Amino acid sequence: MPQSSGERWRPPRGRHRLPREVVERSQRERLLEATMRVVAEKGYGPATVTDLTREAGISRTTFYALFVDKEACFLAAYDETVERLMRQVTSAYEAQERWPERARAGLEALLAELAADPAQARLLLVDVAAAGPAAQRRYRAAVQRLTPLFDEGRDFAPGGRGLPANASRLAAGAVVGLIADELVADRADNLPSLLSDLLFATLIAYLGPDAAAREVGERTR
Amino acid sequence: MQSSESSRRQDILAAMIRVVGAKGYRETSVADVIEEAETSRTTFYKYFDDKHDCFLAAYQLLVDQVFGEIVANCDGEATWTTRMTAGLTALVDRFADDPQLARTAVVEVAAAGAEARQLHTDAIARFTRYLDAGRELVPDKQLPENISLMSAGAVSGLIFDELLAGRADRLPDRLPDLLFAMLVPYVGPQAATAEMRKLSAA
Repeated sequence: MPQSSGERWRPPRGRHRLPREVVERSQRERLLEATMRVVAEKGYGPATVTDLTREAGISRTTFYALFVDKEACFLAAYDETVERLMRQVTSAYEAQERWPERARAGLEALLAELAADPAQARLLLVDVAAAGPAAQRRYRAAVQRLTPLFDEGRDFAPGGRGLPANASRLAAGAVVGLIADELVADRADNLPSLLSDLLFATLIAYLGPDAAAREVGERTR
Repeated sequence: MQSSESSRRQDILAAMIRVVGAKGYRETSVADVIEEAETSRTTFYKYFDDKHDCFLAAYQLLVDQVFGEIVANCDGEATWTTRMTAGLTALVDRFADDPQLARTAVVEVAAAGAEARQLHTDAIARFTRYLDAGRELVPDKQLPENISLMSAGAVSGLIFDELLAGRADRLPDRLPDLLFAMLVPYVGPQAATAEMRKLSAA
C-alpha cells in the first residue's frame, strides 16, 4: 500500500490488523527484556519508568496498561528471566540418565547461561537485593528452583534417605554462594570453569568424598 | 546525662543497625536514625556524610564486634568439628536474640551497594578461614580451593531464607541442618549426619 509522504505509517488496518493480544504480548516482551537490560546497567534505584519505556520503544500509557509501577514490571521481568534460564537447565538435566550426570548437565547449562550474559547474571543473583523485599523473596525463590537438580540424590545415594530433608536446598545454596562470589568479583567469564568444583561440592553431600571424586574425575581428570 | 563524643557516634551506629533491620536499607532515612539514636541532625552530620557513609561504618562495627565475638568460638584446642559447631551455634544464637541485627547483617547489607557487599564478603571470610582448616581432614581428596565458600553459601542461604520470612526465632531449630551443610563438604554425609544427630540429641 503506497504511503503519501509526510503522513506517518500506521499498523495495517482491517483484516491485516494484528490481533490485540499479539501486539500486547510483543510490547510486554520488549518491555521485560528492556527492563532487565536497563536495571542491570543503571541499577534498580536510578532506573526510571521513562528509561524503561524509551529502551523498549513503548509509550508510558502502554507501560501503565501493563504494570502498575516500576517494581511490578521489574518483578515480572525477573520471573520471566528465571523461567527462561530454568528451562535450559531443566532440559539439560533431563537429557541425561544417571543422577550424577544429570546434576552435571544441569549445572553446566546454568553456568553457560549465566556466563553468556554477565550483566544479567549479576542482576539475577547479586544486585536484585537492592530492589526491595519483594525482589529479595523472588531471588530466594529462584535459588529454590535449583533444588530439583539434587532431590534425586536422596534416592541415588546409598543411605541418601538419612540425609536432612532439605539437603537439596542446602546444595542449591552452596552452588549460588560460589557463583555469586564470582559475579561480585566480575569474573562471570570464569563461571564455566567452576563446573567440577560445584559438582564435587554438591555430590559429596550425597555420595561422600570418594565417590564424589570418582564421579567428577571420570569426566574431567 | 551527657554522653561522650565517641559514645554518641556509637549510639548512632547502633541505631542505624536497628532501623535498617526493622525497615530495610532503602526505606531507612537519616531522620529515622536520628530519632532512634535520640540525637540531632547536626550531630549526625558531624560524624557522617550521609546515610550510606553511616551504614558502612555501622556495618564495619558489626563485623568487628559481633562477628569477632562469634568467630572467637572457633579458636582453641578442641577438635575442628567441635570448634566449628561452637562458632555456628554462637552465630545462630546471636541472630535469634537480635533479629534486627541479623537482618541487617545478612539480608539488608546486600541492598546497600558494592562497598557494603565487600564488607559482607570480608565478614564471611572470617568464617571461611577457620573452615579451611577442615581441609586437613581429607588429605588426599584434593578438595576444591573454594570449598569453604560453598559451605558458607549453604549456611548463609538457609539463614537468609529464615530471616527474610521473619523467622529469626526459629534459627536455633535449624541448627542441625546448618551444621550438616557446613560440615558435609569436608567430612561427607555419614559423619555430617552423625554430628547433626549428636547436636539434636544434646
